[in-house]
Amino acid sequence: MTNDILLNIEGLTLDFRTNRGRVKALRDISFPVRRGRILGIVGESGSGKSTILWSILGLLAGNAEVTAGRVEYGARDLLTLNAEGLRAIRGEEISVVFQDPMTSQIPVLPYARQMSDILYRRSMSEADKRKAAVDMLRRVGIPDPDSRVDAYPHQFSGGMRQRAGIAMSMLTGPNLLLADEPTTALDVTMEAQMIGLMRGLRDDFDTTIVVVSHNLGLIAEMCDDVVVMYAGEVVETGEVHDIFHNARHPYTRALLECDPARIAEVSRKLPVIPGDIPDLTRPLPGCIFADRCQKAMPDCARVAPPQVARGGGMARCHLLEGPLADASWPPPADVVTVGRDLGGLAPAKVRNDAPPLLDVHDLNVRFRTMGPLKARMNGVSDPFVDAVLDVSLDLQPGETLALVGESGSGKTTLGRTILNLQSASGGSVRFDGQEIAGMAEARFKPLRRDMAMMFQDPVGSLSPRKSVRALITEPLVIHGAQGRDLDAEAERLADMVRLPRSFLSRYPHELSGGQARRVGVARALALNPRLIVADEPTAGLDVSVQGEILNLMADLQAEHGLSYLIITHNLPVVRHIADRIAIMYLGRIVEDGPAAEVFARPAHPYTRALVEGVPQPDPDRRRPPSATIEGEVPSLLRRPKGCDFASRCPLAQEACRRAKPEHIHIAPDHRHACLFPLSTTSDLTETA
Amino acid sequence: MFTYLLKRLGLAALVVMAVLLLLFSMLHMIPGNPAILALGTRASPEAIAEYSARMHLDKPVLTQFVYFLGNAVQGDLGQDVFSNRAVTSVIGERIGFSLALICTGMGWAVLLGVPLGCLAAVRPGSWLDRVTGVFSVGMIAVPSFLVSIWALLLFSLELRWLPAIGAGEPGDLADQLSHLVLPAFAIGLGWVGYLARMVRASMLEVMGEPYIRSARAFGLKPRRVVLGYALRVAILPTITLIGMGFGGLISSAVFAEIIFARPGVGKMIFDAVSDRNFPIVQGGVLVATGFYILVVLISDLLIAWLDPRVRSSL
Ligand SMILES: Nc1ncnc2c1ncn2[C@@H]1O[C@H](COP(=O)(O)OP(=O)(O)OP(=O)(O)O)[C@@H](O)[C@H]1O
Ligand code: SF4
Ligand code: SF4
Ligand SMILES: [Mg+2]
Repeated sequence: MTNDILLNIEGLTLDFRTNRGRVKALRDISFPVRRGRILGIVGESGSGKSTILWSILGLLAGNAEVTAGRVEYGARDLLTLNAEGLRAIRGEEISVVFQDPMTSQIPVLPYARQMSDILYRRSMSEADKRKAAVDMLRRVGIPDPDSRVDAYPHQFSGGMRQRAGIAMSMLTGPNLLLADEPTTALDVTMEAQMIGLMRGLRDDFDTTIVVVSHNLGLIAEMCDDVVVMYAGEVVETGEVHDIFHNARHPYTRALLECDPARIAEVSRKLPVIPGDIPDLTRPLPGCIFADRCQKAMPDCARVAPPQVARGGGMARCHLLEGPLADASWPPPADVVTVGRDLGGLAPAKVRNDAPPLLDVHDLNVRFRTMGPLKARMNGVSDPFVDAVLDVSLDLQPGETLALVGESGSGKTTLGRTILNLQSASGGSVRFDGQEIAGMAEARFKPLRRDMAMMFQDPVGSLSPRKSVRALITEPLVIHGAQGRDLDAEAERLADMVRLPRSFLSRYPHELSGGQARRVGVARALALNPRLIVADEPTAGLDVSVQGEILNLMADLQAEHGLSYLIITHNLPVVRHIADRIAIMYLGRIVEDGPAAEVFARPAHPYTRALVEGVPQPDPDRRRPPSATIEGEVPSLLRRPKGCDFASRCPLAQEACRRAKPEHIHIAPDHRHACLFPLSTTSDLTETA
Repeated sequence: MFTYLLKRLGLAALVVMAVLLLLFSMLHMIPGNPAILALGTRASPEAIAEYSARMHLDKPVLTQFVYFLGNAVQGDLGQDVFSNRAVTSVIGERIGFSLALICTGMGWAVLLGVPLGCLAAVRPGSWLDRVTGVFSVGMIAVPSFLVSIWALLLFSLELRWLPAIGAGEPGDLADQLSHLVLPAFAIGLGWVGYLARMVRASMLEVMGEPYIRSARAFGLKPRRVVLGYALRVAILPTITLIGMGFGGLISSAVFAEIIFARPGVGKMIFDAVSDRNFPIVQGGVLVATGFYILVVLISDLLIAWLDPRVRSSL
């Protein structure tokens, strides 16, 4: 093993013993981690990415059994090292950043305590440990670390918590940092900041990083080397440029082509990789990707593919070498290899003068934050926050409006208020011309059939004890569909969402993420609504499954003239599916307009920060660190007097802090709320 | 925090009020002359007249309640029907025995049950886990008065290891402690099993939390992970349970005091009921309720102190 290899995984094979049989979770995993570099492991959910990290640390679940392989770290094999030896390495030489800082940091101990615990092996005084903790918190950008070090995790925002998580893992100056989906729980602007932070730490501390993610943008932006995994195997490895510009494995190609951020032209239909990840309890001869591969040949499923080296990397595919080799593979990067229904290329919808289906005007939602007694005692004169502030928007039949903003911007509250699940404190919501804000539930009930909600967490929102059949007909039962043949209805709905009828007798835990979403869509469709409010319809889904769900929603819209209000922070997706976008910040709409317009010529600095904040799945388009916007969304309790964005806006001036900017039209259907907008006219008006 | 404390104290005061109202109406709902009820059938007519005047029995019921309340607030809970001594001083003499019993009973249960639960959770399925599992169920299933009787028969009558009756010579600490052992053992035994099960369950849940995995990923010693991290969180629901559990413990203590003839408040209430000595019953019940309310309040404050999430939501 040469000196530039810090960690070398060799032939790692691992099973999980379950009551369904042995899950062959990792099979013959081999790759080196080179010193001083950032290695990314990418792959769909369940491909074994996290399992690799836990085997490096020797912290596998109790039912895991390593059947072969080595994890070489220096002269040692971490798989055979005793408990004492592993503990000496954990935290000191190899450290971890976790996906969800909320659940991975103990809630009852302050950071000072958690961090000095990590330094327990060092012979330092408690005061020195505290100082080391403060210094590291300062380094990762926690403001006022001298006092914040005594805070508890719940007192930090999501972004700060993850910064603190990174500080904890860097405290000992480890040689190797493992990061499992470090930004998945964060917003776009936070994600960009975290990527910059980790790259900076790598340079300062000379730490080697292994980062696991299913976010191709993050991998391209951060990593030097990439390992692509599929269903427990490494299918391709290589330097980041080779992987992103010249991938040789059909799965890598497919994964890249499915990423909406890589698809330049706006398209209603997104490419998908048909099929599901194989059942890992069955024997798996031949190529693991065979049953989903567009290029599969009959022998692929029987004969294990050769491992073909290139540079420092490799790919495992019959197309590259041997009797089945295909000289024309891989095709140039712009050739699409995955299945794609091009018939759906976006026909730019023309906005007509039809009366809007939904018309929201100056809507306000206020929440009380503390009781009157407490407010008086704490000297708070206004114990209310405006979760939604003067929001106006409208939606025409058959249109898709995307409501975009970071967490805490009030998107979900607005959605719930529109559905009359939350009462408004002012303004109006008209549905089909009828005022519905504050309508009594009894009168609203018939209207509820016309409006449906798709929930964010599909499995969590499905009752675990009901069959799919009962779940998708539940809205019909609630709304008294007497005399209707529920079985026939269930089949009709299953067909509509392309869910095989045999699934009707399954229960939620037997569904994959994508199938559970389909059930969610079917429930939303049960009453033939005209408006569907979808809260993060594809959050947590792999790109290929995400494409399926979005395509389904687009088809249903075309067939039934549905209107969608899509609440999301995923901008690459919005670009493909939305007709119009409204950007929210602290409960206020700061810009809204036609999607293409807003993407091409954002007027509000926040819009631009969001659009540019998405990491691009292309290592040649890495953004300079200066492109990320600093700071985070302020608390609603401390809403600035002037422009809400002023504390983070690179263009802020004195005037911005005096009063809230009014909404200004730069085209009949394009508004912004900024005193110094980036573009003052839209081309549509110029050419019109 | 301060408002929280105020609220909790206000609530406690309300509960005490409600208990007072209940006790008051108990005396007034029973048919017959309340004065005779309160003083006993052997009371002289003068005593009855004096009592009626003092308790304003000629006034409307509501006024009577106000007087009753006023007296209670000033610490006047009436007088013992037989000795004519103030109820408060009678209780004062006896409360020490009850407090010692209840606290020792719960104390040894906590000292044994919590570590047992921890050990069982650290190695689920081990022999220790299985043995505590079986014993716990057994301990929970047997009522404490049966344990008291068996303990009395076995350890003091049969083996003669420990004294059977009373609370020991005043001033002789060793004697008093030896009299405490059996009743405390009897009322705590079920709690050992209960706490062991409870701590085991909540430890197992916490040990599966991601932050325990983080602590191990940072290389902390297993002992620190279990005691400093997992138990630190798992103990929180147990504290609430212990606080609430004092209610049951008080009633077990009553039985234990009767069986071991221990001169505590429980025995006092029992004797007073059979003697129809109502002022003593009233006072005893009031003190028991007040004690329970206090314990629950303390356990809630303890939780707030140990759990920063609760603290900051107050
Ligand atoms: N404790 C366990 N018992 C049984 N099977 C397990 C266990 N942990 C993981 N698996 C299985 O092992 C496979 C790999 O899981 P792993 O969590 O490593 O995937 P991943 O790539 O990290 O996925 P994700 O992106 O969803 O985090 C999956 O099929 C998973 O269901
Ligand atoms: S070996 Fe065959 S099935 Fe596997 S990726 Fe290559 S072409 Fe596809
Ligand atoms: S009004 Fe000022 S602070 Fe607000 S977004 Fe515009 S330039 Fe920035
Ligand atoms: Mg994972």
